Amino acid sequence: MSKEKFEAHTIPDRISINYRYSYGGQSKFFIELMNNKKLLGTKCTKCGKVWMPPRINCSECYTPADWVEMKQTGVIMVSTIVWYTTSAFIKAIPYGVGFIKLDGADTSLLQGIFSENLVPSKIKKGRRVKAVFSKEREGKMTDFFFVPEEEYEKWINKPEYEGGV
Amino acid sequence: MRKVAIIGVGITPFKARYIDKTYFELAYDATKLALEDANNNGAEITHKDLESTVYGIYNELFERQFMPDIFANSYLGMNNKPGTRIATGGATGGYTVRMAYAEVASGLSDLCLCLGFEKCADCYDEQTGAATPEVLNSIAYSADMTYEYPMGVMAASSYVTMVNAHYEEFGNPTEEQMAYVSVKNHGNAILNPKAQAPMELTVEDVMNSRIICYPFKLLDCCLYSEASAALILAPEEKVRELGIEKPIWITGVGAANTDCFIGNREDMGRLYSNIFAAKSAYKMAGLDYDKIKQQIDLAELHDAFSGQEAISYEELGFVPFGQGGPWIEKSFEQSGEGPWLDGELPCCPSGGLIGCGHAVGATGIMSTGEAALQLRGDAGKHQVKSIEYGRAISHSIGGPGAAYAAVIVMANEEGLKKP
Repeated sequence: MSKEKFEAHTIPDRISINYRYSYGGQSKFFIELMNNKKLLGTKCTKCGKVWMPPRINCSECYTPADWVEMKQTGVIMVSTIVWYTTSAFIKAIPYGVGFIKLDGADTSLLQGIFSENLVPSKIKKGRRVKAVFSKEREGKMTDFFFVPEEEYEKWINKPEYEGGV
Repeated sequence: MRKVAIIGVGITPFKARYIDKTYFELAYDATKLALEDANNNGAEITHKDLESTVYGIYNELFERQFMPDIFANSYLGMNNKPGTRIATGGATGGYTVRMAYAEVASGLSDLCLCLGFEKCADCYDEQTGAATPEVLNSIAYSADMTYEYPMGVMAASSYVTMVNAHYEEFGNPTEEQMAYVSVKNHGNAILNPKAQAPMELTVEDVMNSRIICYPFKLLDCCLYSEASAALILAPEEKVRELGIEKPIWITGVGAANTDCFIGNREDMGRLYSNIFAAKSAYKMAGLDYDKIKQQIDLAELHDAFSGQEAISYEELGFVPFGQGGPWIEKSFEQSGEGPWLDGELPCCPSGGLIGCGHAVGATGIMSTGEAALQLRGDAGKHQVKSIEYGRAISHSIGGPGAAYAAVIVMANEEGLKKP
């Protein structure tokens, strides 16, 4: 190419696709979450492993897994606080996320961890947490989140949230 | 399988944005550089002699084009030859080298182009008037869309989980130890004219940079980058026929995908994919996981985040578990020790991702090419002081929870003969 001054031609553009996405075999988890504020895991019919998030087949035994209702309390395994993030979530910063092992589960679930005082020590490994639900639920993971057990009453008394079952 | 060598390396500068080039134009530049390098290395070839291409391209949303490989294929004059695309997140480059190796080792091709490229900064977020949040969003779609994307996860929050879990278990890497990784890699990049982020930093500078995702700070994180990198691979008979002066032999390729759901892992403070990829690559190369630090001259690591490089020292067998952070901290300004450029095992002499930038599909091919140039003695100002064993590794990881990993072991002619 010759040495003439370069001028870029740029255009605004967007890729956008609409879906009617089916959760398939996992649907029951989202239906029970939305309608009944229940958290369902699955239990392998052979090895007994309790999967949360649920899978209707055990990936280790290649056997079907049964739905089981989980307790709504658990323990933080690891967490972080996000201060800079994607365009889709930047209005929500700072927010806590972490892996929570529900009582009785063998795996941990990624979820938001809310606290009235969001500092690392408040959402540290080993802290007991309890699920809080949005009053307006759509059958999505954003229908619930976890809070430190001692803050549970405060959170469920906020107008937009409620306790589970 | 046939013996396979890297005969040419082409790497474009890593930049925040190439407003003057599309992805296929960048790919052309790296391919041309690799051909020139092969020809300076004894060959007399053009693109017409290349028999196939293996493409490393991570993200369609970055390129604003699905199947970008076929458009690059046209622009590179590679029509009517086989071309295969690899996409394994941040590990795309390493995996692409592995598959290009297989293309040649198997006898399918005699001259194979291993080509990675990536744009990203055409993504743009109107609400903040910046590219980065939209770049991060287009990466976040690589998270599980059902359970994890809706929680606001992104690359940093995924990697930090493992680093925090590791800290809970071993008491390290500390924030200061992570900062040393940043100081090292930004510092090494000063000597690399192709690096995007050369910086002379102190631990305090890193510690005082703004928080991104507790405890990662801005200077603990690599920058997203645009670049292309290419290797030309040939089997032994072709290397001899072309009269290649400094072939760099690929002696081990290892890869593994661990569970992408971190919550399913037995131990969240481990990058299991690294361990399995490293062990299989070393075994293939006849090296020993427990003695690897005394068997290689340098390592080009995948340092997407400082704390994760510190853990990778352990996963790749350089130091025992729990010793990664202390290894870099204690060796600071101790010539001949640690992972520093003048250390016992220089890690990321190029500057790595933190120093060079992370042009995802190109990154692992750049790091493999950089390690090859080091073994040839052609790395330039960031050449490591001595090549004693004649062997090096490159390392790529990526995907949700760093589920993908690939490790490549290379040797120069002398390195092939050493025990």
